[in-house]
Amino acid sequence: MDLNSSEKERYSRQMIITDWGEAGQQRLKKSTVFIAGAGGLGSPVAVYLAAAGVGTLRICDFGEPELSNLNRQILHTESDIGINKAISAEASIKLLNPNVRVVPITDMITQDTVEGIVGNADIIVDCLDNFEARHILNEFAVKKLLPFIHAGIHGLSGQVTFIHSPETPCLRCVFPAVVPKKVFPVVGVTPGIIGSIESAEALKWIVGIGENLKNQLLIWDGDTMDFQKVLIKKDPDCPVCGNL
Amino acid sequence: MKELTASEKERYHRQMIFDGWGEQAQQKLKDAKVFIAGAGGLGSPVSIYIAVAGVRNIRICDCGEPELSNLNRQILHDDTSIGLNKAISAKHTLERLNPDIQVTAITDKITEKNVGRIIGDVDLIIDCLDNFDTRHYINLYAVKRSIPMIHAGVYGMRGQMTMIKTPETPCLWCINPGSPPSDVFPIVGATAGVIGSLQALEALKYLSGVGTNLLGTLLVWDGGKMEFMTLPQHKDQGCPICGQDNGID
Repeated sequence: MDLNSSEKERYSRQMIITDWGEAGQQRLKKSTVFIAGAGGLGSPVAVYLAAAGVGTLRICDFGEPELSNLNRQILHTESDIGINKAISAEASIKLLNPNVRVVPITDMITQDTVEGIVGNADIIVDCLDNFEARHILNEFAVKKLLPFIHAGIHGLSGQVTFIHSPETPCLRCVFPAVVPKKVFPVVGVTPGIIGSIESAEALKWIVGIGENLKNQLLIWDGDTMDFQKVLIKKDPDCPVCGNL
Repeated sequence: MKELTASEKERYHRQMIFDGWGEQAQQKLKDAKVFIAGAGGLGSPVSIYIAVAGVRNIRICDCGEPELSNLNRQILHDDTSIGLNKAISAKHTLERLNPDIQVTAITDKITEKNVGRIIGDVDLIIDCLDNFDTRHYINLYAVKRSIPMIHAGVYGMRGQMTMIKTPETPCLWCINPGSPPSDVFPIVGATAGVIGSLQALEALKYLSGVGTNLLGTLLVWDGGKMEFMTLPQHKDQGCPICGQDNGID
């Protein structure tokens, strides 16, 4: 997929990153990324993947922005209250980079809908706020051997890992339980940091540079500004990836 | 202290329930005045995240105009902003994201002579610049006026960040004396997103009084390997800017 002269100009500063080049930029243009959630994490992920020139973003959210979301969900503003978040995200992203194709999906992720929702995506980025939907996506990612970037946040802390079965443990190996969803504290910068890290992980994988966070969970404590990497292991009896 | 309105209490609810934050920290943000030097790659996430957190007075300075090759990372601007000044384009974006705040756009180039007038009387300076000549002008002013400054720099998929608060910490000159030549360097948006969001966090912690700041320590990030390191920094006793014989009274 060739780049036109305006694209070469727009992405010139990242194309001079070692081993990125025109070939890496073409891989981005060809790629489709599925972003699960257009909230706190989904905002920086969609914004930075779009600015970098990913060809197609499939963005899924069934909720609507509320005033109490706007301290962190930078895809949306007050005038978007009442509009679906995926639709609102599409409008923001088209403004930021008209070259990107956005497919907004307003359905809820369930066992029955997951296949149609993820569609032909090359990689899944988890920007969700609940483990129920995460486990459905994880199972689908394992089945289709798709890479799955997991992240979660709480207050001023967060975590990220790059899952790609069978090379790495799956989400179920590391977090077997479904933690009940409730209202938790969060400041906008937390998803800003963790979401930007997720987008860096996605870009590296698509472009084919650097090393991804495989078999390790990055845990960040923003209060003390402490970053730790914890080794994570496959559960041989995992009901999701155990037979791979 | 300015009281919070009902709509502000709703907008900032999810951060106000963070341990130690509450209404008091939120009011401090409402009273705060911040200077952001640069409305580019770093200035974008920095200004966006402190704006949505409710920092009311933001002075943002940039003498340039957005170009097409900026748009892979400078998320304050889009194709329709090309031809506008970056500080003015930033003001439009920030006031749309949060109509409760006041943004002052400054379009001048920062020099040794005008630095005091441009920065003015603020609680905090955030360095989102791309060259050390200008960084050293704002460092000198920050040291002279005892205003804390959050420094950051980015290159490719790497970056660094620290909070400077003299005389408690080394100043920028102690950490990085002189100015390396400023060339066109590789950069991707996600790098500015990581480092700029970390700067915004340091700013919010300082202004709200919640959490601990990265004082006297340089955080270095290698995004290619996704590694974070912290390196202790030391004051240079003979520093011409913050040392004892610097001639500042």
